[in-house]
Amino acid sequence: MAVSKFGKIENHMFAFIIRRIIQALLVMMIISLVGFAIKNKIGDPVRDLVGERVTPGERAEIADNMGLNDPFLIQYVRFVKHAVKGDLGRSFLYNKPALEVIIKHAPATIELLIGSALIIILVSLPLGVYSALKPRSLLSRFTMSFSTLGVSMPVFFTAILLIYLFAVNLQVLPSYGRGETVDLFGNGYWNTGFLTIDGLKHLILPCISLSSIMLPLFIRLIRSEMMEVLETEYIKYAWAKGLSPARVWLIHAFKNTLLPVVTVFGVQMGLTFAFTILTELVFQWQGMGFMFLEAVQRADTSLLVAYLVVVGSVFVLVNTIVDILYGFINPTVRIAGTK
Amino acid sequence: MKKLVLLALSLFLVLSFTVSAGAKTLKVGLDADPVSLDPQVQLSGGMLQLSHWVFDPLVRWTQELTFEPRLATKWERKDELTMRFYLRKGVKFHSGNTFSAKDVKWSFDRMRTSVDFKGLLEPFDGCYIIDDYTVDIKTKKPYALLLNMSTYFFAMDSEFYTGTDANGQPKDAIVKIGESFALNNESGTGPFVVTKREQGLVIEMERFKDYWDKNCPGNVTKFTLVPIKENATRVAALLSGDVDFISPVPPQDFRRVNSDDKVKLVTISGGRIITFQMNQNRVEALKDVRVRQAIVHAVNNAGIVQKIMKGTATVAAQQGPRGYAGYKETLKPRYDLKKAKALMREAGYANGFEITMMAPNNRYVNDAKIAEATAQMLGKIGIKVNLKTMPKAQYWNEFDARAADMMMIGWHSDTEDSGNFSEFLMMCENKETGYGQYNSGYCNPKVDELTIAAQSETDLDKRTAMLQEIEQILYDDAAFIPFHWQNHSYGAKKNLKVKEIINAMNFPYFGDLVVE
Amino acid sequence: MKTKLQKFKESYFLYAFKRDRVAMASFIVLVIFLILAITAPWISPMNPYDAENIDIMNSEIPPMWMADGSSEFILGTDNMGRDMLSTMFYGLRTSIIIGLGAVALQAFIGVVLGLSAGYLGGKTDAILMRIADIQFSFPYLIMAIFIAAIFQVAFGVGSYERLAVPLLTIIIGLSNWPIFARTIRASVMGEKNKEYVEAARVIGFPKFTIMFRHVLPNSLTSVMVIFTIQVASAVQSEAALSFLGFGMPVTRPSLGSLIRAGQEFIFSGSWWITIFPGLWLVIFVLVINLLGDWLRDVLNPKLYKG
Repeated sequence: MAVSKFGKIENHMFAFIIRRIIQALLVMMIISLVGFAIKNKIGDPVRDLVGERVTPGERAEIADNMGLNDPFLIQYVRFVKHAVKGDLGRSFLYNKPALEVIIKHAPATIELLIGSALIIILVSLPLGVYSALKPRSLLSRFTMSFSTLGVSMPVFFTAILLIYLFAVNLQVLPSYGRGETVDLFGNGYWNTGFLTIDGLKHLILPCISLSSIMLPLFIRLIRSEMMEVLETEYIKYAWAKGLSPARVWLIHAFKNTLLPVVTVFGVQMGLTFAFTILTELVFQWQGMGFMFLEAVQRADTSLLVAYLVVVGSVFVLVNTIVDILYGFINPTVRIAGTK
Repeated sequence: MKKLVLLALSLFLVLSFTVSAGAKTLKVGLDADPVSLDPQVQLSGGMLQLSHWVFDPLVRWTQELTFEPRLATKWERKDELTMRFYLRKGVKFHSGNTFSAKDVKWSFDRMRTSVDFKGLLEPFDGCYIIDDYTVDIKTKKPYALLLNMSTYFFAMDSEFYTGTDANGQPKDAIVKIGESFALNNESGTGPFVVTKREQGLVIEMERFKDYWDKNCPGNVTKFTLVPIKENATRVAALLSGDVDFISPVPPQDFRRVNSDDKVKLVTISGGRIITFQMNQNRVEALKDVRVRQAIVHAVNNAGIVQKIMKGTATVAAQQGPRGYAGYKETLKPRYDLKKAKALMREAGYANGFEITMMAPNNRYVNDAKIAEATAQMLGKIGIKVNLKTMPKAQYWNEFDARAADMMMIGWHSDTEDSGNFSEFLMMCENKETGYGQYNSGYCNPKVDELTIAAQSETDLDKRTAMLQEIEQILYDDAAFIPFHWQNHSYGAKKNLKVKEIINAMNFPYFGDLVVE
Repeated sequence: MKTKLQKFKESYFLYAFKRDRVAMASFIVLVIFLILAITAPWISPMNPYDAENIDIMNSEIPPMWMADGSSEFILGTDNMGRDMLSTMFYGLRTSIIIGLGAVALQAFIGVVLGLSAGYLGGKTDAILMRIADIQFSFPYLIMAIFIAAIFQVAFGVGSYERLAVPLLTIIIGLSNWPIFARTIRASVMGEKNKEYVEAARVIGFPKFTIMFRHVLPNSLTSVMVIFTIQVASAVQSEAALSFLGFGMPVTRPSLGSLIRAGQEFIFSGSWWITIFPGLWLVIFVLVINLLGDWLRDVLNPKLYKG
């Protein structure tokens, strides 16, 4: 009986994953199609490649050689054919395969995300738990009003204020860039700022401003989850058993708070990723968001399309994994879409 | 875990000691980095700057706009069409090869195949080797600007760039998009050797040990270039000491850079004129010279220079700046709002009209702000302006399509001569000859005639008179709205002797830079 | 029969409101903001969108209490010579128009799709929710930038200036509707098997009547809470888009574009161009958020965790 049930779940899972992959491919198709449809509107990459003196005739010839004048469908089919082999085209701006450019810019963004995630975890856990345990204390009230203020601050404004305060006026922290980085694997793909003092200093302001948008949300979430758990029979029973407050709060209550928090954390990191665009712009942080804006500005259309496809696939992938994990952790949740 | 901490610590120590003392290092922050190591792949300011660091031209401009011998030690005119160049002996390329006449010819011929330089080389017939250290450069017609053009002739190492590379592609291929040998490898004769290049991130260079110019005062041994696009960030990097030199310095930060006790601001007037063109083919009203005069009179370009450019630009009323052959002293800026309104009334447009305007937002210093201010100034004489600003990658497309009634264009003469402005900006647009490539909607046959005649006029007085007449006609016609000539601006640490190495072309000669 | 007004006066809603000082203060500030925005053309010292009033020679004048300040410009001027105070009034007006419009659009799309999905179920539900899922999985800001980039280039120079406000409204509306759809669907799922719906069905009301007249009103409280919070988020989105240069045209600056323009001047000392509109925006969004929090607590404490 148990075995057959397990098998059923497995079948289910398999069908689910297949459906998700098909869905992901569909999304990729749509994204790349849209990307392709607008790419001619964003600007002429040839203009950025040549000097201003080059005549229109010669420019047309270059565009011809690059295949930019081919009919839309031919270009698109060519793109898809190459994409299947993992070739997402060549960035005009960096003059390298677009995928390589994106992969090389990813670590900067990932480190920014890791840094802010650390800040979020380190600050929101103690503050959230504390304000759940002592909701009427001064610190809790202060935390709560401060967190509403935090949600209301646009990321870029926070960033500018931080720069104004710490870099311009106090001159204690650097205002832009990643500082000194170390080539982690020696192949030029992952330059990390975590291993030098200078690199860490450069991380501080961008990470704070990026985390500022999510931090309040998590403090509130942890607080409300914790408060809810404290009301449950389970905790009342623990009290009745005569366990020490520390044990009840930290081991029993806190453990149960964590699951929903982790789920939301996964989802919110996606949104945080979007906000890196703003943070990276203000701090001139050479990550994917910065690269994206640069590609829009410089009409690097092939990099733009590649970026959309990569970001799209990462999101579909992450969402699928989250759904699967969620299905495992919480078997009462039916896997999305099945009846 | 302990091991990891130890490892990290020792990594730290190693890293912090690698910066050795004694060597003069220079870190430069520019708004963009050169797109390639191939000096002939793109004709742009950034590429020419790099060429002056890694390669050497036959002759180069000095601060006083005279010619300074580089790879050519002297030159003489053989006849109306020919200039003979005597080349320097004992010059080594970075590869170790010895420089000679064949490299000059090879580079010249390769340049003619580059789409970017083709147009500039149009007047030339060819380069002829006389002996190992003598070449003749010939033009098709008598050409007054042959020496000016020789500042573009950088010598590449013909041996180094011959053969096929690892991908089976000829090493001399000029490739705009995609891999090429010259994209990532260089062998020039210049003061710096490129040691590392990461597009969009950094170029690292070291001083060339066998550099031919033993009299060169420069003492920079390690030279790093990083692109910092955002204006405010670039200034912050200089002020915090992250970089030693930046350019350009945004006008709004001049005061701050100047008042800092560790850094200084150096500016030099440049020859780039900023203008708006008025398209007569798109708007009927603009055909009326009174309306165009009204517009020019409504624009307070002195105010723009004072407020937006913070005084570091020269207010203009004509195309070429002082020092150029066509410069006419009597042409003065015309801001006069009362007169502008009167002219509008006179032309029958007392109630004004509506027009569209486009400008780039990352091409010229404060371009979008100038456009915005102009739009507001025109509002005062009843012309409602719909303004759109955009990155240059989109802007040039729109310019090609002449998509708006007024379009911004800035121009720096390739030859440091007045004629070049009219050829590109003011001659009637002609797709065949390429004249008027950046002219949106002004056409006066008289201007065409004079510009063409001036090209092959070798009597300098006559030529000056012609070029000045052109400026007068354009002024009377109100052919365009003149704003100003941009200054080049540099911010640097106080111990850098910057004044000595800059020039109107914006080619800072870092090879000659002295760091105290 | 009690009148509606009487009913309202005796309601828990009003009672809770009167007891909460923060909510009352926020409400008062919000009303002031709304009045300022509506009356901006009459109370502003000048019209910052009208070229007639702007003189480049007045640029970067500091606030009146500073050394070079002028009483003509209370909060100083921006880099083009616009009066900061007036520009902030007009910018607020723009932000509110776009914010309310965008959320109304989100709510419309979300409610229609959410209702249909929840009530009709089956294939309709599966397809609609899939679309919502896909869009939800993609950060809305990237979505908005993407749509904005398309719109910017698709419209000519003359029309963009006129169309900027409706376009931004549509962009932000289109990029963030799934949250409404999901909430509505969830509450419809809860309502649809209740007796009153069954009853309506038995009587023979058409599906749409049941959906809009009977099911929807019972989901409205959640819509209201989300609406408030989404307005705050839409105002921020507009600011972010303008900050990135995809928003309002330069001649009609919104708060986001003002902050962006001022960023360049922060090192040179003209901090007021950035800081004043920044604080203005923060206060505005803050009171909306505070009211939203309060509404959530009063109307539906369980809803929308976090």
